[in-house]
Amino acid sequence: MNPPVDLQSDVAEVLVSEDQIQAKVRELGARISADYAGRQLTLVSVLKGSLPFMADLMRSITVPVRIDLMEVSSYGGSSTESSGLVRILKDLSASIADEEVLLVEDIIDTGLTLNYLVRYLRGKNPASLRICTLLDKPARRLVEIQVDYTGFTIDDRFVVGYGLDFGEFYRNLRYVGVLRPEVYSTPPADAADAEPADQEPAAGQA
Amino acid sequence: MEQRADSPDDPSGTDAGPAFAHVSEAEFARILDYYQVPWQYEPHTFPILWNLAGDVLESFSPDFFLPDADLYVELTTLRQKLVRKKNRKLRRLRELYPELRIKLFYARDFRALMLKYGRLVLADELSGTAGHITPSRTAASMLAGPFGAARLASEAGQGDGSSATSDPAGRDGPGDAVVSPVHHRRRRRGAARRAATVGASPSA
Repeated sequence: MNPPVDLQSDVAEVLVSEDQIQAKVRELGARISADYAGRQLTLVSVLKGSLPFMADLMRSITVPVRIDLMEVSSYGGSSTESSGLVRILKDLSASIADEEVLLVEDIIDTGLTLNYLVRYLRGKNPASLRICTLLDKPARRLVEIQVDYTGFTIDDRFVVGYGLDFGEFYRNLRYVGVLRPEVYSTPPADAADAEPADQEPAAGQA
Repeated sequence: MEQRADSPDDPSGTDAGPAFAHVSEAEFARILDYYQVPWQYEPHTFPILWNLAGDVLESFSPDFFLPDADLYVELTTLRQKLVRKKNRKLRRLRELYPELRIKLFYARDFRALMLKYGRLVLADELSGTAGHITPSRTAASMLAGPFGAARLASEAGQGDGSSATSDPAGRDGPGDAVVSPVHHRRRRRGAARRAATVGASPSA
């Protein structure tokens, strides 16, 4: 049996404190409220990581809001996955056609999931679709997507807390922290780092 | 820029799909397929060093091209201290072809990607192995994947799920599609079109 997760000591560093998060949420809420003044808004949160952010953000927004939740499968590399494609595990509970929609994300890194979701939601014909994320990790971006509201742009580090998990734990931390590498890594092998693509190429070839 | 000949993609002669040089590349392709992001494997080769006679002495073929993002991706699972040669080639590539958008995924980046998807065991396995995969494994585990048809549609300009109005979750058709030789030929024609726009040699 694995030892229990130690929420506090497994975190090497607090990257964004609780106070910083709450201040930023208020700031984002004010901006969103101003941008959507006189209109009503549908917030779509992506389970599970963005739940705390969604809960705080919606209470910082002063225009009328509806909320909805989605969950999509994440790549797991399993050969048992029936389709090998991302799947909607939980769909919207109501139509967003002709609605002003704000997609609320906890973190954007590769942009792969977000890219999929944006395409999916645009297919539902909302009046508008904007994106709000608490954390943006642009160093790892593969698909460029315009993000309308960004809380914090962070370096390329593995973060947990405030909804973000490792192995489904650490979501209930009230801050965003950097996980100690030894928590998730195993000692790397020493031998033979080389890969074929990096061996000395023949003339004219990479 | 040169377009790759068919043979490096298909040493088996079956043209069942690209023969990835490394397990990490196959895994990366599976991730792209999963999220329905069109990709091409080593579609273009860029000369980066010539002799006085104009012969190409050195060239660089980024591992992946993502046409929707107009982005090249080069993967390496080498440790940071061993990637100097690749960094040098990449710098040279950027000097000669400044219009290219290319991202180098280092070992730490790939490891983080695997961590994100709960595949750290694979990342650990790749460290310390040559990482070869066979063409047969490629064909069976990779290109039997579902995104071949979407890639084909992308190349054919028929909509590929990247359209702003598409509904990827509602798409049932491509689920069992397999990349066919026709798909590869079309992809290569696309590469040829791109080659024509970039130009053959910046020193010419």
